[in-house]
Amino acid sequence: MKRWRKGLLALLLVCSLLLAGCEVITEPGGSTGGGDDYTITWSLDDIPEYTGDAYVALNGNQPEFSEGDITTSSFEFYSPLDALGRCGSCIASVGIDLMPTEDRGSISSVHPTGWVQNQYDFVDGKSLYNRCHLIGFQLTGENANEQNLITGTRYLNVVGMLPFENMVADYVKETENHVMYRVTPIYDGGDLVARGVQMEGWSVEDDGEGVCFNVYCYNVQPGVEIDYATGDNWAAQSDAGTTGQEVTYILNTSSKKFHLPGCSGAENMKPENRQEYTGTREMLIQQGYAPCGQCKP
Amino acid sequence: MIAAVCIDDNSGMLFNHRRQSQDRILREDLLREAAGGPLWVNAYSAKQFREPPDGLRVSPDFLDEAGPGELCFVEDQDLSPWAEKLEKLIVYRWNRTYPADTWFSLPLEGWRLERTAEFAGSSHEKITKEVYVR
Repeated sequence: MKRWRKGLLALLLVCSLLLAGCEVITEPGGSTGGGDDYTITWSLDDIPEYTGDAYVALNGNQPEFSEGDITTSSFEFYSPLDALGRCGSCIASVGIDLMPTEDRGSISSVHPTGWVQNQYDFVDGKSLYNRCHLIGFQLTGENANEQNLITGTRYLNVVGMLPFENMVADYVKETENHVMYRVTPIYDGGDLVARGVQMEGWSVEDDGEGVCFNVYCYNVQPGVEIDYATGDNWAAQSDAGTTGQEVTYILNTSSKKFHLPGCSGAENMKPENRQEYTGTREMLIQQGYAPCGQCKP
Repeated sequence: MIAAVCIDDNSGMLFNHRRQSQDRILREDLLREAAGGPLWVNAYSAKQFREPPDGLRVSPDFLDEAGPGELCFVEDQDLSPWAEKLEKLIVYRWNRTYPADTWFSLPLEGWRLERTAEFAGSSHEKITKEVYVR
């Protein structure tokens, strides 16, 4: 019943988008892959270079759902793969009825484009790439759906996307309201690995009062260089330890953030996650740590 | 005055002017901490209480108006200007990570951890409550 309803709603969604005259983005500098009809209103040229923040706001953090998208009826839609086998935009009205009631199953059978896996000691879990759910499992319970899994770094998965999934999941569980939710992988031309993902969320019943965001999350891994055309990757060359200035930082070994000693984020950290470190900033980044967004060390 | 705040693993409180999370069981715990006295909030936080409980006091200037020993639930304000007035601080930790662009900025240095407790929320596996005194 659930699948039948999803299929019908997806068909209605596609029809409404076609009637609305939307077109697939093909502009240089940023494409969404897949066969969905969502058109991004910006390009990769508009995105600042990654400097330590896992995400940046787009359009003043206001999502760009059209009125026809927004509904209090739960649905989920995953774009078909494009000619290169890449995922496209995924959209859902996340309601409590879509959320999983069972543990996640195996997704290892899916090999998204650009899947060139390598291990690094400084990456959490060592593996550079995760099969990154576009719409997180905790929201719609999708397992090995190749239309919903991209090659994403551990950093993108855990530091970039997961916080937004957590926020949406908690809100839906607490309020039993719906959240319009769209995740769009952004590719540069024919690249096999997305440069990042656009994530949009909007709580429906309260007109965005509970959840409202529009962000770009970087598909990067501090300390690793990635050839996005192929997915190949290697440890970044660094002169850390030879020319970098040694500074004392406070590390959060859980969130993988580093702080200046006077930062309230460092002082209010749980003791078991706290570790003092003296060394270069570059070396920390190479070890997978990212600077705190508050004290910007 | 006693202040209660909710923070994530990175001491975050808000993203895009919205709370990171909420929890029904946590609200019940807050009312227990108020111990029959007033629970001061502003209009933004008052919306969390669909059926306003006895003792809920709503005011834009609640941090000025709260008296000694009275509990304030603070979601979207920097507590620093009222630091001297604070007798006690209750920190609820979500034990999750959310997006953040506003953080809890009051240093806990100089405060003494009086008690701590853990409980399961309505949508959070484990919420940690830490109570600090001067």
